[in-house]
Amino acid sequence: MSNRSTSHSMSGQEFFTNRYRELGWNYEPVKVTSAIRVNTVNIGRQELLSRLASRGIKLGKIPFLENGYWVHESKFSIGATSEYLLGLYSIQEAAAQIPASLFTELKNKTILDACAAPGGKTCQLADLMQNNGTIVALDIEKRRLTALSNQLERCRVKNTIVYDMDARQVAELDLKFDRILLDVPCSGNFATDRQWFRRRTIEDVERNAGLQREILAKTARVLKDSGEIVYSTCSLEPEEDELNINWALQNLNLRTEPINCPGQQGLTDIFGKQLHHSVVNCRRIWPRETQGFFVCKLAKEEGKR
Amino acid sequence: MKLVTDFARQFGVDLRIDECLIVRRESRCFLLNESLKKLAAKDFFHAGIYLGKTKKDVFFPSFSLLTMIAEKKANKVFVDRRTEWLFICGRDIFKQGIKKMEGSKRKGGHTLVLNEYGECLGFGRIMHDLGEATDGVVVKNVSDIGDFLRREK
Repeated sequence: MSNRSTSHSMSGQEFFTNRYRELGWNYEPVKVTSAIRVNTVNIGRQELLSRLASRGIKLGKIPFLENGYWVHESKFSIGATSEYLLGLYSIQEAAAQIPASLFTELKNKTILDACAAPGGKTCQLADLMQNNGTIVALDIEKRRLTALSNQLERCRVKNTIVYDMDARQVAELDLKFDRILLDVPCSGNFATDRQWFRRRTIEDVERNAGLQREILAKTARVLKDSGEIVYSTCSLEPEEDELNINWALQNLNLRTEPINCPGQQGLTDIFGKQLHHSVVNCRRIWPRETQGFFVCKLAKEEGKR
Repeated sequence: MKLVTDFARQFGVDLRIDECLIVRRESRCFLLNESLKKLAAKDFFHAGIYLGKTKKDVFFPSFSLLTMIAEKKANKVFVDRRTEWLFICGRDIFKQGIKKMEGSKRKGGHTLVLNEYGECLGFGRIMHDLGEATDGVVVKNVSDIGDFLRREK
């Protein structure tokens, strides 16, 4: 138990795991299983599987993803194969593969990937679009943009333009988008960060939640009337998840859309606060084989477009 | 763009690209499609297909450009699996590791290096006439896709 949790601190393992219990989940340490995603624009699934099998890499299909595979066994780093360097697959955690897969019809659409670096989901979108249509990818900081650019080159993505731009400034582009991916900066979760409970405080969570609301508000303005937003975080904290979606429903003329993916329904009773009933359309994934994750699909409320 | 076409010519390829679709950002060159071209008026970080960069008048090709050249009739050596990995790790190529050759084999020229599936791994300089050499290093590694890993460090 962390020292920080012994008093009335708003941080530490005990503080956060008590919150999870209140939300209906009992904390347990987890080991996230590595996963890859086939870049089908560059190779067929079966061909890649047989090539990796010949290298002694044992994979298993992820049932809820069309192109996702668990890495069950590999004698060496899954990032140290010529197939990886040739962009035939990407290393992408299983839950992180869900958001891009939730859009309806992507081909020839104009997509905004508002917080794109390091680019795993951007490459996934390009793959789903078969390199047709246009992706506008935004992020800030040269280091993050360089990582994104390297990913795009490795995966042989052709339909993407990257701007060094904060998502909150997206209106400057003077564009409207058919689809918007908001994989927003978040507090993360303990499943992918051993030091998470030591590092994070409720103040961090609230600060991130505020930033996420700003990004939601600014990007919702550049969504076409018939467009879709997929909002996701790898945070388990409801301030960044259900509470932000509830805020968006009240303030941005958006509605949630049902989605078909693993996870439990979004919570509508958060620490005694009742949220809009349609928050159940969100999906909350408690960590087990995957990291913790939250995802929601939004569209413009009809009649208020 | 002359830098790009001159580079391709080293491999015996006359690469034809619509110059209107090539855009330069500082030292880096990109090949865009029509839709991206419209968005490129605003300063961007990356767009379309990255072709390479210049440093002190020397052109450093991207792996996308090498793949484009490899799709043509070019100087190529196809290497075995062991040599493939050694090459990706930055090593030179021994004659014994080459399974097949296409195009010019002359000493001093450049050749693309491909694996047994015909996928481009990078390129190198021909150190000894490939038709005559029987052993030893014949292709010196100039650039390989292991660079993606080295860039992360």
